[in-house]
Amino acid sequence: MSESPKPKQRHAEQVLTEEFLLARSKILDLAATIDRLQRADGQVESLEKQELLEQGIKILLDDQGEKAKRVQLLMSRQYNPQWREHYGLH
Amino acid sequence: MDYIDPHIHMVSRTTDDYETLARMGCVAMSEPAFWAGFDRGSVESFRDYFRQLTEFEPKRAAQFGIQHYTWLCINAKEAENVSLSREVIAMIPEFLSASNVLGIGEIGLNKNTKNESTIFLEHVDLAAKYEQQILIHTPHLEDKYQGTRMILDMLVQDSRIERSRVLVDHVEEHTIGEVLDRGFWAGMTLYPVTKCTPQRAADMIERFGSERLMANSAGDWGPSKPTAIPDLIMELKRRGHSRDLIRKVVFENPRKFFSQSKNFKADALHSESASN
Repeated sequence: MSESPKPKQRHAEQVLTEEFLLARSKILDLAATIDRLQRADGQVESLEKQELLEQGIKILLDDQGEKAKRVQLLMSRQYNPQWREHYGLH
Repeated sequence: MDYIDPHIHMVSRTTDDYETLARMGCVAMSEPAFWAGFDRGSVESFRDYFRQLTEFEPKRAAQFGIQHYTWLCINAKEAENVSLSREVIAMIPEFLSASNVLGIGEIGLNKNTKNESTIFLEHVDLAAKYEQQILIHTPHLEDKYQGTRMILDMLVQDSRIERSRVLVDHVEEHTIGEVLDRGFWAGMTLYPVTKCTPQRAADMIERFGSERLMANSAGDWGPSKPTAIPDLIMELKRRGHSRDLIRKVVFENPRKFFSQSKNFKADALHSESASN
């Protein structure tokens, strides 16, 4: 099967200009969600979800790429290559 | 722009939706068998469902000039009931000669259990015995990565399966690479909150290219948008991508994939030319 060339990429300045308002809106949504959590009654008993959100935010701020993929993997159950033996399926 | 929605559950949609989709450019669609929102209790419920998919929906779609195709299976969620699943799998061959059946699907995993895996393998065996194409459902949210890897393990283990005849749906950023690298087709599902937005789908097209990649709405009874593919078309246009690239993802690729099934009527498919 022949492979098509990768589609062209926009210039970084163009991406920032075109996406800025949308990104701003999403940051505000996230900030407001955290505010909502902080002013809610009581305390979170299971910290797992809260810690996942905090680790996800750290991925957004680090200097590495593939952020969407890394956030997805952070929020995923682990894959065990020996799963078939575990289930008795050969 | 004319397009094909390769994964949409029209049994859950109104006739108005068919009309809207036709107005938006939808010329063909395929509807995999899926979970109806509740577990069905007997094989006869599935027989009626398969009749709806092979007899009623094609007629409803045809009123608006849309070709309707379908895929048959018992879905992963109900596959936890192994005995019912085996009754349904035994009944599926009765429907494989229906004129709009493209293959077996959407088979896959839900919570990645042993029973789901057992029934997945039995569906794959059915597809191989009857030389059917396969449409795959991959799990949601935290189960997707693990489940997708398990599904790929099972598919590549079976030497009878031609990877070019298998579409793995609901890929996202952490699963698309392996699906394409292993030679399968990949489908991105444009579904609010739990799957992929048109913007992220456009990102994946830019990142991985358009080869063996398509997009679908998976419109169903849940919060979903049957006109999501036109949203992706608009996003790709906004980013300045060529008409040829967009058309390849939303029309040429599904047509090419479906054409591997003897029941797909590619020649009868109304289509505007790429240069229009």
